[in-house]
Amino acid sequence: MVKRSEKATTMRKVIKAIWIFNWFNSCGFAELVPLVGSRWDMERFGMIIVGTPRHADVLFIAGYQTHKSIERAKRVYEQMAEPRVVIALGSCTMTGGMYWDSYNTIKKLDDYLPVTMYIPGCPPRPEAVFEACEKIFQHVKELE
Amino acid sequence: MVKKETEFLKKLETKFKVKGRVQKERRIWLSISKDKLIEICKWMKENGYVHLSAISVTDWLKDGKYELTYHLWSYDDKILVTIKTKISRNDPKIDSVTQIWGNNAQIHERELHELFGVNFKGNNDLLPLFLEDWKGPAPFRKDFDWRDFVRKEFYDKKNEREMVYFD
Amino acid sequence: MIKEIEPAPKGSEYDFYFGPAHPGSGNFGVKLKLEGEVVVSARADPGYLHRGFEKLMEYRTPIQNAVLSDRLCILEPLNWNLIHAEAVDELMGIDIPERAKYLRVIMAELSRIQSHIIWYGVFSKGVGFDTGFKMAFGYRDYIMDLFELITGGRVYPAGYICPGGVRRDFPKDAEAKILKVLDKLKDLIKLEELENPAMNARAKGVGVLKLKDAIRLGATGPVIRGSGKKTDVRKDEPYEIYDRLDFEVPVRKEGDAYARYWIGIDEIKQSIKIVKQALKELPDGEVIESSLKKPKLKAKIPEGEVYVRNEISRGEAGIYMVSNGDVSPYRTKVRGPDFLHMIPVLEYLLKGVQIADVPAVYWSLNICPADMDR
Repeated sequence: MVKRSEKATTMRKVIKAIWIFNWFNSCGFAELVPLVGSRWDMERFGMIIVGTPRHADVLFIAGYQTHKSIERAKRVYEQMAEPRVVIALGSCTMTGGMYWDSYNTIKKLDDYLPVTMYIPGCPPRPEAVFEACEKIFQHVKELE
Repeated sequence: MVKKETEFLKKLETKFKVKGRVQKERRIWLSISKDKLIEICKWMKENGYVHLSAISVTDWLKDGKYELTYHLWSYDDKILVTIKTKISRNDPKIDSVTQIWGNNAQIHERELHELFGVNFKGNNDLLPLFLEDWKGPAPFRKDFDWRDFVRKEFYDKKNEREMVYFD
Repeated sequence: MIKEIEPAPKGSEYDFYFGPAHPGSGNFGVKLKLEGEVVVSARADPGYLHRGFEKLMEYRTPIQNAVLSDRLCILEPLNWNLIHAEAVDELMGIDIPERAKYLRVIMAELSRIQSHIIWYGVFSKGVGFDTGFKMAFGYRDYIMDLFELITGGRVYPAGYICPGGVRRDFPKDAEAKILKVLDKLKDLIKLEELENPAMNARAKGVGVLKLKDAIRLGATGPVIRGSGKKTDVRKDEPYEIYDRLDFEVPVRKEGDAYARYWIGIDEIKQSIKIVKQALKELPDGEVIESSLKKPKLKAKIPEGEVYVRNEISRGEAGIYMVSNGDVSPYRTKVRGPDFLHMIPVLEYLLKGVQIADVPAVYWSLNICPADMDR
């Protein structure tokens, strides 16, 4: 019997299928909705979109955030139950992206929410999102 | 080619004693002083110019003036008439055209009040539209430099990833 | 005998925020005042996506702005690319070659078809018809593959329509592939001929907008064509090659959500007709004006001002550009159709509507919050 820490056991039990709460900001909408569609079907991996943050494991922040919308995103994050993961899509969440000199957007998502994984691209392809989810499963498997 | 536009411009010039020009087919540009604005706009609306396409403000920093432009379209004549008028930059005040074009003009004026600081007399709903808790100056004025503001607030010169934004 | 339920007493209104994280809304909030289940008044709350586009364009040259202009609305980037390129062309006094005009119109119409397919899919989801949602996003992917073949990007074409023409010519197999995709779209449109009773019951008679109010509130595009006025910028003041093409403008009189939704389907049919005609008449030649093949990065724009109007899939779009002889435009004003549709028209239409019908009214106006906030 392999001895694992308590955190590893809970993560293995809970993260078998990812339930996503969608917080699609403008640029994420056009590339994440096809993930639900029939060509890049995400239900075959066990991922579905839920309507309330209490049911969700993962918060997808897709695209640039302004001061007004990051306040709401923080409140949604606080309502999610442990264990929870934040995935940031797009280059606007890393350094400000194309709107680096705008007065109203925020430049680094890391200052406001603890981000687990960044997916680069403008906007990232659907295959990149699947690769990111596979890395989460791999990371949970290797936890000890 | 521009016969209809020239005739219409002549009618306007003789009736209101203003100067304008025909730029090309379907485009007329008029410059007036701000006290004739309401009178001319009322006449335009009664003569078929029922669609207000946009209201915009240009900030001429060197002259010290704001230039307001009203773009009007007529579905019958199919001509676009632009009316331009100048007001002072330090205390911008002008009459509102909501009495003529209703809610269409009201939302454009609300946006310009927030972004440029223009006061429209007669418009009773000038609350902030896009920004929440913004305490700085009116954002779209030419003396508010965005790149300086962003470098001070968000970026750190000593960080090696962010050094590139400082040249 | 069934006892009548008494209406709610006066003063029993409550506030409800139909917000950005609701599964049935976009990135946009509406403050509703409700009495029981009926909306008494509504107030829009925009600003979640405000970046200050118009001033960002003052810091960049027109070539850099061509790449920035696709991000004005993500659902139809090529149409905004086109109107920005037309404004700069007119300021600089450039005549573009004939082949470039035809290529621009083909790409703009493909983008319009793609945007109407999204409208159909998202409206079906809001009304409760889930099959329509999945089918629409399945068919849209054929057009995304075409964009990737021609411009290099699935969603953002990186400024394919730039001042002076288009950036590169079509690859050799593009024309055959476009015709194949247009044939496949016929299956999507045939689905609409079978009237779905659930959709009819939820969309007929909901959100009625009369013509007088539509003109007073500044509605344009499919919203005013659904109320009975036959007007389209492509016919009123033709730009590019629209005066040489043969197409119709669909109009309906009822003004409810059902009429607007059917106008979207009819417009897809007309756009397919336009693309087929343009492909047949496509001439040979250059695709970009020769002085802009290797452009100078800091070329000055001559002094002047211009106002350009185009018909994008949501309505009438306008750009007012002023230049004072510098390398960047002095002032760019972007007029989008959604600014008028989402604030005055929506607040007027939501009065007296049941709360379960709010998504149906909302999605029938074909909104894009990025276009409103800029």
